[in-house]
Amino acid sequence: MNVFRDLVRVAMVGLLARKVRTLLLLLGPMIGVAAIIAAVGLTDSAKGDLKAKVAELGTNLVEASASSSFGGQNPTLPRDVVERAMTVTSVRSVAPIVELSNIIVTPYEEAREKYETVPIPVVGADENLPVVLEVPMVSGRWINSFDEGSNARSAVIGVGLAREFGVLPEELRTIDVGGFDYTVVGILDSVLLEPGFDTAVFISFASAENDFLDDDVLPNKIYARVDPSRVDETADALTTAIGLGGPDEVKTDVKSEALELAAQSDRQLQLIVVSMGLLAIIVGGLGIANVMSISVIQRSSEIGIRRALGHTRKIIAVQFLLEAIVVGVIGGICGVLLGMLAIFVGASIAGWVFVMAPWLAPAGVVLAITISVMAGLYPARRAARLEPLETLRLG
Amino acid sequence: MSDVMSDVLMRLEGVSRCYGSGEATVWALHDVTLSIHAGDFVSIVGPSGSGKSTMLGLLGCLDSPTSGSITVGGVEVTGLADAARTHVRGQSIGFVFQQFHLIPHLDALGNVETALLYRDLKPAERRERSMESLERVGLGHRFDHRPVQLSGGEQQRVALARALVTQPKILLADEPTGALDTRNAANVMEILAGLQSDERAVVIVTHDTDIANSAARKVSMLDGRIVSDEVLR
Ligand SMILES: Nc1ncnc2c1ncn2[C@@H]1O[C@H](COP(=O)(O)OP(=O)(O)OP(=O)(O)O)[C@@H](O)[C@H]1O
Ligand SMILES: [Mg+2]
Repeated sequence: MNVFRDLVRVAMVGLLARKVRTLLLLLGPMIGVAAIIAAVGLTDSAKGDLKAKVAELGTNLVEASASSSFGGQNPTLPRDVVERAMTVTSVRSVAPIVELSNIIVTPYEEAREKYETVPIPVVGADENLPVVLEVPMVSGRWINSFDEGSNARSAVIGVGLAREFGVLPEELRTIDVGGFDYTVVGILDSVLLEPGFDTAVFISFASAENDFLDDDVLPNKIYARVDPSRVDETADALTTAIGLGGPDEVKTDVKSEALELAAQSDRQLQLIVVSMGLLAIIVGGLGIANVMSISVIQRSSEIGIRRALGHTRKIIAVQFLLEAIVVGVIGGICGVLLGMLAIFVGASIAGWVFVMAPWLAPAGVVLAITISVMAGLYPARRAARLEPLETLRLG
Repeated sequence: MSDVMSDVLMRLEGVSRCYGSGEATVWALHDVTLSIHAGDFVSIVGPSGSGKSTMLGLLGCLDSPTSGSITVGGVEVTGLADAARTHVRGQSIGFVFQQFHLIPHLDALGNVETALLYRDLKPAERRERSMESLERVGLGHRFDHRPVQLSGGEQQRVALARALVTQPKILLADEPTGALDTRNAANVMEILAGLQSDERAVVIVTHDTDIANSAARKVSMLDGRIVSDEVLR
C-alpha cells in the first residue's frame, strides 16, 4: 500500500515539476476525447427533441389497415374487427376508424370554391380514439355515445384545421362537411404519430353512415396499444386475427418506427467526426510516446541513480507507466469536460436539447487511459532497460 | 586489516571484467581478488583507465563480472537476477559519484527521500530519517533547496546524505571530491571519514594523493590489476 502511494506520489511530483511538458502530454488525449464526445453528443443533440418525443409517445402503437389485394376500391376490415383484435392477448386497447374520401369540407357555404381543391380528411371514429392515441383535447369534448346514438351532426376538428378555419376554442361553430352542417364540439390536439389528423374532421360512425355511405359503415383501420415488449409479434398476430377469412388484406404498421428512424442520429457524420477524434487521440498517443522517450534520455542520470539506490527495473517501468496513466486520467477527464462544454455551447447556439449518453464520459476516460498506457509502454521499457553504470558514467 | 573471515563484508575473487569482443576486447579488470572488511577505510588509486571505476561498479553490484565470484555479506551475488542484485544494493550499499547525480526537480530533502522510496515506510518516518541524514552532513537548514540553489560542495553533501540514509554496510565513492575545490573537498572527506565505523566500510576512488594517504588502507591499480594493497594505519 505504501509502495503504491509512493509510486503515485513520485508520478505526480514528476509531472508537476515539468508543467509545460505535462501540458503537452495532456493535450493529445484531451483533444481526442473532447472531439469524440462532442461529435457523438452534438449529433445526438441535433435529434434530441425527436428522441424525447419517441420516448414520450411510446413505441407501442400499432396500426392495422385494410388494403385491397387486387386494386379494389375502399377496402374494409371485418365488422367485428375490435373483438378480433382484442383476442390477441398483448393488445391493450383498440380504436377503429373509417377514412371517408372525396368529401369537401369548408368553414361555411360561401367558401366552398376556395376549399374545393384542398383535401381535408374526414374520419369516422368512435369514442375510444383519443384514449388509444393518448391525445388530449385542446378544447371541448370528443365524440360520445350520444352522438353515435342520435342523428346529431357533431364534429371534432384537428388543431391545425381549427387554425385554418379560424375556429376559436369553446366557440359555437358549424362547418360544412360535404354539404351538411356539422357542429364543432371540440378541437383535438396534434397527434404526432399521425400528423394527418392535425387537419382532419372527426365524426361519429353513425353520421358517416347516414350522410356519406351507401352501405353499412365498416372500419378500414384500427389503432391498437399493445404490450411494449412484444410490439412486432403483436403486429404479426393482428394481421392474422383480423384478416382471417376477410375479403381484403390487412397491413400492420408500428407507428413510432418512422419517427424513431427520423430520431436516429446521423451515423455517417458521427462516424466521420469520431474517426477524426480517434485520429487525434492516436496522434496524441504518439506524442506521448515521443515526449516520454525523449524524457527517458534526459532523465537517464535520474534513472541510473534510482537504480543504484535500489529501485528495481520493475519499479522504474511502473513509475513511467504511472506517469502515462495519470496523464491519461487527467487528459481524459479534461477531454470529457471540454467535450461536454462543446455540446452545451453547440446545442445552445443551434437551439437543441443537450443530449449526452451517460456511457460517453467513462468511455472517454477509459479510451484516454488506454491510449496513454499503450504510448507509455515503450518508453517505460526503455527506461527499465537502461544500465545504471552506463548512465552514471555519462552523467 | 583484520583477517577474521566473519568480518568480510564483501569479497571479489578472481574477478575479471572485459568490454567488447574479438579484436576490440578491453580487459578493464584482470583476475582481481579483494576483500572489504567491516570498519575498513579504503582508498583506491591508479592512473586513468586502470579499472578503478569498473571495480567499484562490481563492488556495488551495478555490474556483473565476466568471470570470478563476488560475495556480499557472504552471499554470492554473481549469479543473482537483476532484481535480487538491486535489492542487495538497496539494502547494503551506498553510492557517491563525482557528478553528484541529484534529481534536479526535487529539493534536498526529496533527493534524500528518494533512497527510501518503495520501502513500505510511512511518509513521516521517511521524512524524519531523511532530515536526520541531512543534518548529519550539516545541511538541515537547506532541506528545501533544489540542486541548482546549492553549491557543488553542498550538492555532494546532499548526495552523501542520500547514500547514508539507508544505513548501508558499505559506502562506495567514486572520486567524490573530483568536482570540488580544496575547501569543499576537505569538508566532504571529513564527513566521509566520519561515516566509517566498526560495522561500516568506506571505499573511495581518488586521484588525490593526500586523500589517498589519509585512508587506513590504500589499494593501487594498474592496467586492470591490483598492484599493491597497503595498510597505512
Ligand atoms: N562501457 C565500456 N565499454 C568499453 N570499455 C569500457 C567501458 N567502461 C570502461 N571501459 C574501459 O575499461 C577501462 C577501465 O575503465 P575505468 O572506468 O574502470 O577506469 P578508471 O580507472 O575509473 O579511470 P578514470 O580514473 O579515468 O576514471 C578503460 O580502458 C575503459 O576504456
Ligand atoms: Mg573512473
